[in-house]
Amino acid sequence: MSSEKRIIHLHIPSELGYEKVAMGAARSVAQAMGFSGDRILDLQTAVAEACTNAMEHGNLLNAAQRVEVVMTVEENALAIDVNDKGADAHFAEPQIYDHNKHRGMGMYIIKQLVDEVQWSSRPQGGQVRMVIYLEPKEDAEN
Amino acid sequence: MAQELKVTARHVDPVMVLDLQGDVTMFAEAELTRSYHLAVDNGARELVLNFAGTDYINSAGIAIIISLLTEARASGVSLVISGLSSHYQKIFRMVGLTQYAEVFDTVDDAVRELKSRTTAEPA
Repeated sequence: MSSEKRIIHLHIPSELGYEKVAMGAARSVAQAMGFSGDRILDLQTAVAEACTNAMEHGNLLNAAQRVEVVMTVEENALAIDVNDKGADAHFAEPQIYDHNKHRGMGMYIIKQLVDEVQWSSRPQGGQVRMVIYLEPKEDAEN
Repeated sequence: MAQELKVTARHVDPVMVLDLQGDVTMFAEAELTRSYHLAVDNGARELVLNFAGTDYINSAGIAIIISLLTEARASGVSLVISGLSSHYQKIFRMVGLTQYAEVFDTVDDAVRELKSRTTAEPA
C-alpha cells in the first residue's frame, strides 16, 4: 500500500449486527497496512463498540439511518471516524463506567484500545475519531 | 448478520458446563439467563461458562455476564469462565470482570479446579 493518503467510506444500517461489516473492513485495511494481529483485534473491538454506540444512542436503532465509517489511511496511522445522525449527542469522559450502563463500558474499552480517541458532537450528529499508529507513540516516561 | 448464541449444557460431575456458541451481545441475554437459571434450578452449584465457541463479545454481552456473575455470587453458586481468547481475556481484565469471576484458559482447567474444591470440602 503506498504512503499516499487513502480514504474509505462505509455506510451501514443502524441495526445491531452490521457493526461486523465495519469490523471486517477495518481488519482488511489494518492488515494491508501491516498492523500486528493483536492491534487488529484491538481495532476491531474499538470499531464495533463505536458503531454499536452510534446505532443505539445516535441513530436510536432506526435501520434507515446510516452509520458512516470513514477510514483514513496515512503513512504511519489509521484514523477511523464513526459518524451518526444523533440530534442530541452528548459524551461524558469515559474514565469510569457503571457496569449496568454498557455504553459507558464501551467508551471505556475504546479509550483503552486505541492510541487516540475523540468524541464530539457536530450539528449533523455525533462523531468518534479513533487513531492507531503503526508504531505506538512513545509513552511520556520513555 | 449477528450470529445467534446457542448454549449447550453438559454435566461433568459435579460441574455443569455451559458451552457458548455464537455472539455474546445484547441478543444473547435471554438464552444466557435461561440456560443459567435452568442449570441452577436443576441443582448445579459449580458452573463453567465456556466461551471456546465464541469469537465476538461486546460490552452489552459483558454487562450480561457481569449480571449473571453477580447473581451467582449472591446465591452461593461458583460460576467461572473458560475458553476466552487472549484478546477477550485482556478485555475482561480491562473492565474489571476478573474481580467477579476466575478465568481459566481451558474448560478442562476450570472443571479440574471446581472438582478439586468440591472434593476438598468437608462432608
